[in-house]
Amino acid sequence: MPEEIFSLTDLSFRFPEDDEKTLTSISFSVEQGERLVISGPSGCGKSTLLYLLNRLYPDNCDGLVDGEIRLFGKSADEYAPGEINHRIATVFQDPDSQFCMPTVEEELAFTLENLHAPLAEMEPRITTVLEVTGLSHLRHSVIQSLSGGMKQRVATACALIMDPEVLLLDEPLSHLDPYTAKQFVEWLEELQQQSNLTIVAVEHRLDSWGTFFGREIQMGCNGAIDADHPFIPRLPVSFPERQSSCQSEVALQTEKLSVTIKDRQLLAPVSFSVSRGEVVVIAGPNGSGKSTLAKSLCGIYKRTTGKVESDGIGYVPQSPEYLFLTQSVQQEVAFSGASTPFELTQLMDSLRLEEIQKAHPFAISHGQKRRVAIAAMLADKRPVLLMDEPTSGQDTAALLELFALIDQRAKEGATFLIITHDMEFAASLADSVLLIKDGEMTGKFAAKDVWQNDKLLEQHHLLAPKGVSRLAESFA
Amino acid sequence: MRNLLHDMNPSVKFVLVTVSMLALAFFFNPWTPLLFWLGILLLQLTMSRTKWKLWLLFMLPFSIGAFGYLWTTVVFGADTGGTVIWSFAGIDVTDEQWARALSLALRVMAFSTLSLLFAFTTDPVKFIMSLMQQLKLSPKMAYGIMVGYQFLPVMKDEFTQIQQAQRLRGAEMKKYSWQRLLEMRRILIPMLAGAVRKAERSAFAMEARGFTGEPRSAYYRPVRIGRTDIWMSGVFLVILLASCIGGSWLS
Repeated sequence: MPEEIFSLTDLSFRFPEDDEKTLTSISFSVEQGERLVISGPSGCGKSTLLYLLNRLYPDNCDGLVDGEIRLFGKSADEYAPGEINHRIATVFQDPDSQFCMPTVEEELAFTLENLHAPLAEMEPRITTVLEVTGLSHLRHSVIQSLSGGMKQRVATACALIMDPEVLLLDEPLSHLDPYTAKQFVEWLEELQQQSNLTIVAVEHRLDSWGTFFGREIQMGCNGAIDADHPFIPRLPVSFPERQSSCQSEVALQTEKLSVTIKDRQLLAPVSFSVSRGEVVVIAGPNGSGKSTLAKSLCGIYKRTTGKVESDGIGYVPQSPEYLFLTQSVQQEVAFSGASTPFELTQLMDSLRLEEIQKAHPFAISHGQKRRVAIAAMLADKRPVLLMDEPTSGQDTAALLELFALIDQRAKEGATFLIITHDMEFAASLADSVLLIKDGEMTGKFAAKDVWQNDKLLEQHHLLAPKGVSRLAESFA
Repeated sequence: MRNLLHDMNPSVKFVLVTVSMLALAFFFNPWTPLLFWLGILLLQLTMSRTKWKLWLLFMLPFSIGAFGYLWTTVVFGADTGGTVIWSFAGIDVTDEQWARALSLALRVMAFSTLSLLFAFTTDPVKFIMSLMQQLKLSPKMAYGIMVGYQFLPVMKDEFTQIQQAQRLRGAEMKKYSWQRLLEMRRILIPMLAGAVRKAERSAFAMEARGFTGEPRSAYYRPVRIGRTDIWMSGVFLVILLASCIGGSWLS
């Protein structure tokens, strides 16, 4: 019988500042070599559960634990701080805040020093783990200069160098685009087959994982286990059908727009036009100039050549709170003073901001923040809205809400330009797709033409949206 | 030769700089800081790869400060007696006043040059590592500073992004710098909120990799004290002694 690694009996957990329990009556056990995923909506306590398994909690938050956690057959409380961490390694979600040393090699050495490994052992262990993970060429690279996907691989290498028995993953894909995420999963699959690690992951977007997992524990909003069953591969979030709301009027027209900063051309001249009510998706590989285009359109970057004619262009950054300047939602929307009180009331009403109008803009949920940002832009008479990566790190419910929001505003005459890597989202919303590569616009295409064109997708590091590829296969 | 100052152990260099500054503080004649200053300049000219253009730029505010010291001590300094060597517009400057003013100004120059020598020839990462290994700085502090150092570029990006986003909202640039300084809080609040989150994540990531803040038993890249350090300490001390003795003798 395989060795039992984790065993939880009737576990419940409460943060000292909360009245309600974050986790209630959790019981399950994990055996060696299993690939388990814990899924559930945002805020259901799945990350908390993970932190209880690697002993970051309860010590770091003074949380109250009831029930029993046994790690490798021993009660969790009996481990000294740091003792368990070399048997249970963890990779976290944010690629930017997992490292403390400048280069990959030093970061690996930091981990070994923590374990009090003898000096003679360090060099061979670093070389081995870099070979196993295929990262040897990055040995002396500066971590902060690597892409998000590579940073996650380095974080994984740092976890593996400890020779752990278990690898915990805390939403490791949430900051990666689908193309990079797919490569990461394939890479992890290979690693797992070589080493027979036990993997426990927390994840809310399961479609990127294909058939990686063997078992799934679903958690509900109340912090209890809803289901515990073999893993079934998921299809991506299915969005409702959408009617195009394009009008004949032109909302945005650019001619030979280009950006050169410090003698470097970031964007070669682009010309295109967008109709009122149109939803355009801007896509392309990382660093290809998508954000440059967006920022030059709305006037953050100075255009070097060309002109832009439009009704007024607004910008919603990936973190909408970057826009906020005031102490309440009401003031935030009214900030520019460009709309009459009547228009403001109407706008607040249609974006469901009435009930939170007195709240502080930093203290509301992410979805609400985005609605406030959109309302502020519309109130500033900027009916063309640019959104930078609105889908990144969002769970199913948030994605559906975003879809509905964009769909509705487009019907009411707003125009959207959305930068995203999420092709399922793009396929469900877009009327047209603007592809960019290496600072040059490949072209503006009708959306349905792009999804069938594998060559075009491949060139721009995009994955065909799953719904469409199935359609293509069934034709073949 | 050009690498000597860069190759020194940062802790040794740090101790030497501190000792020199403390020692100089006891000499009130103008010659000691002058000799020391020239000595340090010579040292940096011959044993480092300094970007002198940048160095001049950094020295500019210190030079203005030094001149300010000179000026205020000459014009507003307390009457100390001595012979009048110079007088204009009703201000009499005595030789003692002049000597004291020069001493103060040259001391500012010597201290700033010494600090810049340290800053221009020391890699911050190596400095922290050396503080931990030689001067027993606690690993908790040392790696804490390291994480902060890694965050700097990320924070800079974030700062520009927030600034750009807010300017788009019509948060106009204020005319006076003090108003702009007040406006900064609008940018700093979202940044601080983000920084707290990041700090917690980093702490978790480090702990999950077995970091407990205990002293380590072996270093992968030990920062050592070598022959260069003994040699260079000698050079430093010779400059210091020569300027102390020479200065006292000349005045």
